[in-house]
Amino acid sequence: MSDLNTATAPNVQNTDPVVTGNAPLPPTGKPPGPWKIVWQKFSRNPFAMTGLVVLLIFIFVAVFAKFIAPFDPAKIDLMTANLKPGVDGHWLGTDELGRDIFSRLVHSSQVSLLIGFSVAIIAVFLGSILGAISGYFGGWIDTVLMRLIDVMISLPSLFINILVMAIFGTKLLYLILILALTSWTGVARLVRGQFLQLREMQYVEAARATGVSHSGIIFRHLLRNASFPIIVNATLMVGGAILSESGLSYLGLGIQMPATSWGLMLSNSQEFMLTNPMQAVYPGLCILIVVLAVNFIGDGIRDALDPRQKNTRRRLAKWRKNFSKSGI
Amino acid sequence: MAEKLLEVRNLTTGFLTEKGFVKATDRISINIEKGKTLCLVGESGSGKSVTSLSIMRLIDYAGGVILEGNINFKGQDLAAKKQEELKEIRGNQISMIFQDPMSALNPVFTVGEQIAESLRLHQNKNKDEAWKEAVELLRMVGIPSPEIRAKQYPNQLSGGMCQRVVIAIALAAKPELLIADEPTTALDVTVQAQILELLQDLKEKLGTSILLITHDMGVAAEMADHIAVMYAGAIVEQGTVEEIFANPSHPYTVGLLQSIPGFEGERGGELYTIKGTIPGLGNLPQGCRFNPRCPHVMDKCRQVEPGDIQIGAEHKTKCWLYEDQAKVAAAGKGEHIHG
Amino acid sequence: MTEYLIRRLLQSILVIFLVSIAAFGLMHAAPGGPTQMMISPGLSPETAAVQKHNLGLDKPVPTQYVIWLKNMLKGDMGNTFKNNTPVGDLIWPAVKNTLALMSFSWVISLLIAIPWGIYNSTREYGISDQSANFITYLGFAMPAFWFGIILQEFFSIKMDWLPLSDMYSMEKHGDLGNLFMHLILPSTVLILVNLAGYVKYSRSSMLEVLEQDYIRTARAKGVPERKVIFRHALRNALIPIITVIGMDLASLVAGATLTEKVFNWPGMGRLFVDMALAREYTVLMAITMITAVAVVLGNLIADILYKLVDPRVQLGRKGGKA
Repeated sequence: MSDLNTATAPNVQNTDPVVTGNAPLPPTGKPPGPWKIVWQKFSRNPFAMTGLVVLLIFIFVAVFAKFIAPFDPAKIDLMTANLKPGVDGHWLGTDELGRDIFSRLVHSSQVSLLIGFSVAIIAVFLGSILGAISGYFGGWIDTVLMRLIDVMISLPSLFINILVMAIFGTKLLYLILILALTSWTGVARLVRGQFLQLREMQYVEAARATGVSHSGIIFRHLLRNASFPIIVNATLMVGGAILSESGLSYLGLGIQMPATSWGLMLSNSQEFMLTNPMQAVYPGLCILIVVLAVNFIGDGIRDALDPRQKNTRRRLAKWRKNFSKSGI
Repeated sequence: MAEKLLEVRNLTTGFLTEKGFVKATDRISINIEKGKTLCLVGESGSGKSVTSLSIMRLIDYAGGVILEGNINFKGQDLAAKKQEELKEIRGNQISMIFQDPMSALNPVFTVGEQIAESLRLHQNKNKDEAWKEAVELLRMVGIPSPEIRAKQYPNQLSGGMCQRVVIAIALAAKPELLIADEPTTALDVTVQAQILELLQDLKEKLGTSILLITHDMGVAAEMADHIAVMYAGAIVEQGTVEEIFANPSHPYTVGLLQSIPGFEGERGGELYTIKGTIPGLGNLPQGCRFNPRCPHVMDKCRQVEPGDIQIGAEHKTKCWLYEDQAKVAAAGKGEHIHG
Repeated sequence: MTEYLIRRLLQSILVIFLVSIAAFGLMHAAPGGPTQMMISPGLSPETAAVQKHNLGLDKPVPTQYVIWLKNMLKGDMGNTFKNNTPVGDLIWPAVKNTLALMSFSWVISLLIAIPWGIYNSTREYGISDQSANFITYLGFAMPAFWFGIILQEFFSIKMDWLPLSDMYSMEKHGDLGNLFMHLILPSTVLILVNLAGYVKYSRSSMLEVLEQDYIRTARAKGVPERKVIFRHALRNALIPIITVIGMDLASLVAGATLTEKVFNWPGMGRLFVDMALAREYTVLMAITMITAVAVVLGNLIADILYKLVDPRVQLGRKGGKA
C-alpha cells in the first residue's frame, strides 16, 4: 500500500470504466480465443491485409519462378545486351550481359524470401533457446549471455556481417547464418523477460506444489504471453534480413553470380546508370514493396495486440469535432 | 437553500470505443452550494472520475466528449466553453486534486516551482513573491521545514506529503470550488485521516466548496453536507448527509451502507457485499441499471428506467419502490418529478 | 553518482575487452587468416618460417593477442599487408571525412525530427503526422543505398545539378562550397533514414508523457496548452530522446557503410568494405576496435546525460519514503 506501488500508474483515470477497458464479455457462448481476436482486428486493417496479399503474391512468384520467368535468368547473350523494354519478349529489357531483367527479378524473389524467412526462423529459434536458458537458470549463465548480447549490439550488425562474409567467404549458408546470428538478441531478451516474470509469479510455486509438470507451465505461459510479440519481432526480422541481404550483395559480399538477387542486380546497375537507368529502379522497387508488405503485416499484428486501439483514437480525433458540445 | 455555486444539469459524457460511443455518465444533475461539501459516492467504474473531469473539462484530453448538458458555474456554462477560455477558471476558480499524488506531480520540477507556477499564472506574482508564497502554502498544508522541501523534487517526498503539495497547488489561487478525486485512496491509512482533516480545516478557513469523490461511505459521512450516490453512470440517489444516512432509499445505497464494517446492517461479523458486479457501461441492462443486482427487483424494474423521485426536502432517488410516495409528495407539495 | 560512473566505466572496459577478443579470435579463425596473408606467396617453407618468426606469427595465438593489444593501447595499429602503410594513416583521414558527412546529416535530422515529432504528437493523425508516418515506413522499408542510386540517377545524371560522388571535385580539394555540394545527396539519404526513426520516437515519447497524470495536473492548474507542451511535457519527453540520440553518437565515427560506398565517400564505412574485400586484417581489427569504443562511449554519454536531465535517477531512490 505504500507510495512505490502507486507511483507509476500510467492511466489517465484509474477508476474510469472505459480506460480500464473491462469490455463486457458476450453473455452467452465461449469467448473467442486470442488468435481469433487478433485475426479479427488484423483483418479489419487495410494496410495489414494489403501487406498480406502482396506477400502471398511474392511467395507465389518465388515458388513458381521457373514457370513464370520467360527466360533463363543466368543466360548470358551479348547479342541481345541492353535491349529496350518490350523488344523480343523481354518485357523489361535486358541488362548489359543480355540477361532478361524480368526473369532475373522473378528468380531473385526466391533468394530474398528464402533468406528473409530462414533468418527469422533461425533467429527466433536461437533467441528463444538462449533467452530461455538465460531466464531459467539466471545467475552466472544469465550474466554471461547478457554480456554476450552487450558485445553483439556494441557493433553495428552490418559491420559484423561484412566482417564475417569477407573472412569466411560468400556462401548462401554463411549469409543466412550470420544474418540470423546478428538478429536473435531481441527475441532472446523477450523470452528472458517472460521467464523472469514467470519466476515472480506465485502460481508457479502453487502449480509446482500440486505436481503440475514444470515444463508444462513454462510452455503454456510462454505461448500465451510471448508468442505474439515474438511473431511481431520475427516479421520485422524478415524485412530486416531482406534489406541486409540486398546491402551485402550490393557490396559484393552476398549472393554471387550466377545466382541472382535484387541486391546483386543493384550492384551492377550503378555502372550502367547512363545507358540503362531503369535497371536500378526495378530491383529496388521489389525490395521496397516486399519489405513494406512484411512491415505492414508486423505492424498489423502489433496493432491488433495493442489494447490502446490506434484506430479508435484515429476515429476519435475526427469525430470529436462533430460530437463535442463545445467543438473544442 | 444556500446559494448555488455549481449547477450541473443532465451532463452526459461519452467515450468512443470499439463498440461505438459509450456513455460514461448519463444525464447527471448535481448542485454544489457555497462553502459546502458534496460527496459523490460509488464503486470504481461508476463514472465518478469522469464526472469530475467533465466539470473541469479535462475530459477532452482523456478522449471523452461531453454530449449534452450544462455545467453552470457562477452563471457561465463550462460545457460550452472553448479550452482557451477555461484557463482563467481552471486552477483559479475551480481546482482539482487527484487520486495518485505521486504521479500527479511533474518529476522534473521542484515542488516549489510547481506551486509557484500556479501563483504566477493566476495572481500575476513575480518569481520571488511566488516562491515565498509557495513556501507559505507548504507551511499551511502542514509540511515541516517548507523552505527545504520546496527545493526538492516530488520523488524525494512521501505520498502523503505529495498529496499535501497537490493540495497546496490547488489552493494557491484560492479557488471557490475544489474537486478532490479520491484524494486519499492511494495513501496509507494513517495519512488518509490527516489529509481529510486538512481538507476540512481549509474548507472552514477559506470557505471553499468541495466536490469530494470517494468510494467510501465512511469518508462521506465525515466530510459531506450533501451526498450523491452514483451507479453505472447515473446518480441513483442524492440528498443531504442526514437524509441519506437516516433514510437510505435506493437499494444500492442501502447495500453500500451495509457493506461498511460496523454499520447496523452487519450480521454476525459477516461483512455484507452487494452481489454481482457493476455492469460495463457498454451493455447496461434494460430498465433500471441496478436491477440485476437488486434484492427488491420487480417486473417493472426490468423494463422501464425510473426517473428521479422526490422523497424528502432535498432527497431524490431513482427507484420504483418509491413511486407511490412520490405521487403523494407531488400532490402535497406540487414538486416536479424529474425525468 | 561517482560510484555509478566507476561501475559503468568498468563495464564499458569489459565490453571493449570482450570485443577485442572476439575480433582477434574471428580473424585468426578465418581460413587464410593473417598468417597466410602476411607470408609472401611462393616462398620456400624455410624462408616462410623465418618470415613467420620475424612477424611473431609462430607464437601461440594468445601471446599474439597480448602483443597486439599492447600495441593498440600504445596507439600502434600496425601496418597493412599490401603496401606496409601504417594503419593510422588510412584510418584517421577516414574518420575525419566520416565525421563531416555524418555530423552534417545528423544535426539536420535532429533539427527537423524533434520539433516535427512533437508537433505530430499534438495533432495525432493529422496531415503532418500522416506524412511523417509515410516517411517512417519508407525509411524502414527502402534500401537506403538504392535511394542513393536513384538520387544519383536523377539529380546527377539526368539533371546534372549535383555531383555524382566523391567528397570534392578534382582540383577543388578543401573548397567548402564544393564539399557542401557533394554533401547534399548522401546527406539526403542519411537524413531520410534518421528521420524515420527519430520522428517516430520523439512523437511516441511525447505522446506517452502527454498521457501522464502530471500533465493533467498542469492543465487543471490552468497552464495554457502551449506551456503544457513546451514546459511540462517536453522536458520529460526529451529524457528518452536524449538517450537514443546518445546511443547513435557512435555512428558519427563508424559511418554509413552503404551510403559511403554508393557515393564513393572516403570515410570509415567505405574503408571498412574495401579493406574487408582486400582482407586487410590489421585495418579491420583497428576499425572494429575504434567502432566498439565509439559505441560504448556513446552509450556511456547517453547514460550520463540521462542521469543529468532526470532528477528521479540522479538523486537515487532515497526519497521514496519519508
